[in-house]
Amino acid sequence: MDYFGQLLANGLVLGAIYALTAVAFTLVYGVVRLVNFAFGELFMLGAFLTTSLMLPEVRLFGTVVPMPGFPLPIAALGAIVITGVIGVVVDRIAYRPLRNAPRLAPLITSIAVSVVLQSLAQTIWGAEELRFPQFYLATLEPVVLFDSIYLSVMDLVVMATAIVAMLGLSLFIARSSLGRAMRASAEDQTAAMLVGIPVNRVVAAAFAIGSGFAALAGLLYAQTYGFAHSSMGFLPGLKALTAAVLGGIGSVPGAALGGLILGLVEALGAGYLPNGTAWKDAISFVLLVGLLYMRPQGLLGRPELNSAGRGSLLGGASAAAGSWLGGLFAKGDALLARGAAAGTPAAFGLLAVAVVVGLMVPSDYWLRILTMVVIYGMLASGLNVIVGFAGLLDLGFVAFWAVGSYLTSILFVLVLKDGYGIAPQEVWGLLYLNLPLAGLLAAGFAVLLGTPTLKLRGDYLAIMTLGFGEIVRVVAINWMDLTNGPMGIRGIPAPNLFGISLGSPRAQFFFALALAVVVVFAVARLVRSYVGRAWVAIREDEEAAEAMGVPTARYKLYAYATSGFVGGFVGVFYAHSQQYISPLNFSLFENILLLMLVVLGGLGTFIGPFVGALIWIAFLQLALDLPFVQAYPETRFALLGVVLIVLMVFRPQGLAASARVGLTMPGARAKEAA
Amino acid sequence: MTALLEARQVIVRFGGLEAVGGLDMAVARGAIHGLIGPNGAGKTTVLNVLTGFIRPTAGRLVFDGEEIGGLNVNGFARRGLARTFQNIRLFGAMTVLESVLVGAHQRFSASAPALIFGARAARAAERAMIARAHELLAFVGLGADVSDRVATTLSYGHQRRVEIARALMSSPKLLLLDEPLAGMNAVEKQEIADLVRQVRAQGIAVLLIEHDMQIVRSLCDHLTVLEYGKLLADGEPEQVLADPAVQAAYLGRTR
Repeated sequence: MDYFGQLLANGLVLGAIYALTAVAFTLVYGVVRLVNFAFGELFMLGAFLTTSLMLPEVRLFGTVVPMPGFPLPIAALGAIVITGVIGVVVDRIAYRPLRNAPRLAPLITSIAVSVVLQSLAQTIWGAEELRFPQFYLATLEPVVLFDSIYLSVMDLVVMATAIVAMLGLSLFIARSSLGRAMRASAEDQTAAMLVGIPVNRVVAAAFAIGSGFAALAGLLYAQTYGFAHSSMGFLPGLKALTAAVLGGIGSVPGAALGGLILGLVEALGAGYLPNGTAWKDAISFVLLVGLLYMRPQGLLGRPELNSAGRGSLLGGASAAAGSWLGGLFAKGDALLARGAAAGTPAAFGLLAVAVVVGLMVPSDYWLRILTMVVIYGMLASGLNVIVGFAGLLDLGFVAFWAVGSYLTSILFVLVLKDGYGIAPQEVWGLLYLNLPLAGLLAAGFAVLLGTPTLKLRGDYLAIMTLGFGEIVRVVAINWMDLTNGPMGIRGIPAPNLFGISLGSPRAQFFFALALAVVVVFAVARLVRSYVGRAWVAIREDEEAAEAMGVPTARYKLYAYATSGFVGGFVGVFYAHSQQYISPLNFSLFENILLLMLVVLGGLGTFIGPFVGALIWIAFLQLALDLPFVQAYPETRFALLGVVLIVLMVFRPQGLAASARVGLTMPGARAKEAA
Repeated sequence: MTALLEARQVIVRFGGLEAVGGLDMAVARGAIHGLIGPNGAGKTTVLNVLTGFIRPTAGRLVFDGEEIGGLNVNGFARRGLARTFQNIRLFGAMTVLESVLVGAHQRFSASAPALIFGARAARAAERAMIARAHELLAFVGLGADVSDRVATTLSYGHQRRVEIARALMSSPKLLLLDEPLAGMNAVEKQEIADLVRQVRAQGIAVLLIEHDMQIVRSLCDHLTVLEYGKLLADGEPEQVLADPAVQAAYLGRTR
């Protein structure tokens, strides 16, 4: 009972924090139908700002800056106001231009904003934790309930603050004129605009309030756990999103309920399940996945929120038309369109260029970088099948990549070398067997994970796949016997052919290039057939595709399987090329990065993923020459985020979008023209 | 001869609203069957029921002697029911040829390895279907020059024709057209009416929703009139259109 009571108390504190953040997600989603991933980072900013304002001095950009040293309530108020303003600015710059864009565009900019804020925070406050200062109330004796449950005064303050804030918000939404305007905008934005509601201002208010709530949650979290850190917002952000979905996104009482449930389940699960603390992150995501499967609208939500408008994920209107930027794009487009029309000859031309570059580049350093370009290009190509062609936003793709990498590493290192003492060079051929084997295994895995998502669309699909990706990562960390856990697997042999090591950077580059030819060729053959037509038809209009006799469920799984196959296939080579893998290689950030590469290059094109990978990796390297970036390496990620936001606003369809892919077999068309 | 498609006692309720109340209707083989009625009579709802888009609250659907009520939408299409939409729904990023080929989806069966390695049978199927798509595009009155254009950039009238070609691509037994003449001028209306007759001449039955009574009178073999989701009249066009109840429904009740 004592133990239970203590867990219950912990769960309530955690639940209050989740609930406050969930309110931010729910409020903004309700008004603009946007999952603003950046709330996790606004949560973190709330924590940093409060901590900084409370301290007498703080190191910013590495130099000590004097600070006012306010007491908690004043610091908290300041942090909430500043974060609210940041939220409004973010909305103005990154989301408002995309109000009428396809759904995926603002979702991706919100991920980009997240990356920008996190790397900026790390640049400003550094990579270490900032300790939360001792505060008068925190030094008081804890309150003892039923003789056994210890609740610190601050725990009570956290819960009371959450309750007051949420009651206040509910009253505000129900009674005030701005609250009424919010509800009206949530029902129907166009209609709200027509009756004279300044929708942009209402949305800005939702962002301001939401960001304030996130900041409040963040500072309470920092207070409870005693620190602020640049990546602290990531997991609580995901959990809060989970809580919002759990309660029914768009509903404030739902967010409160979802947060509470999640906090309790996590605390009790960590306390009672065997090895529970290690698995507590997985508990939330299993709950999320299960709930989305059984009741996608959440506990208190409305079913119609689980839908996405018809049409492409991206594309259409661009703000750049007419400007010099538009002119520049137009020239590139003409070139790309010509190249795409040329088809196979253009592909051979590009391959020839890659071969020449591979032969000519003298430095091992740059060859390694180019190998990474090819690897990321291939992985992004795999993701492109599901996101670009079939139009299903998948944030769990890294899991398939991980399956391939782990399969080959476990077989070579843990089973053969450690288990039977067989040296890798004696069984070099296994690598070539593992490539298709891992592909099939990952494809099977993809179908398994894809099946429960079939009912879901749009943002919900993204959230569910994200849950899967996180579950796989937590399993990889905790299933020590299989994966070696966070230590990872070392000593994976370099690729080898007939006893000749292909470990040199140049050999690896050509190995990667050969695999890329296989991947692109196979994917292109599938896309340029009835299968690709079915995928694109599903992306453009699922119902119409179904009415034309396309079994859409089966073809979605087909896309998952293809995507999974590529992930597993490439994962095998990735492991042998890196020679060391750990769960860190397969984080959600990697998945987001791959998604950004595809979007950067152009969804639904063959060349786009490689264009995106080339630009990103080259950018990473070249940015290192900038003095500012040398001083603060983290700003590279911020710069990438900025590039992506600019691109989303001015060119949502991606750089290489005009390299349009034909969806008929090339041979069949040539014969028909003759 | 038995009917091609039979709906028996079909009821559709949305919440408390009864959109279709106990409808019985039958479409004969090789017929051009008109489904008419005033706005809000439930015509599109009926069409959605007949193509599997809406699962009726109660009632049976029999197509070509087979019970099809429990199938999902693609199952309806695979049995030989092809449709167009009231507000055209072509696939945004696809060319005309590619869109039309989607209609032939069920005619393809090549496996992934066969596609990747370019098996002869897979290529032959693709060639045959491309040839058929060109035939059908010509059949609906579109020139060869449009086949590589993105379908949604065509004029409204041409998009309707592409949609009909896409539906015919599945070699259906019954083609269901939801207001195929909406927004067209008199010449275009005649052209589409002629096209519908040619479709029928190939042995494909047509069910269409239409408001233009002159066209309906000259085109249809059989009419079903709905009002408030219930059957108002059913029979030969002359006889149905002369029915005072039908006239009242269209012109407003004077009594």
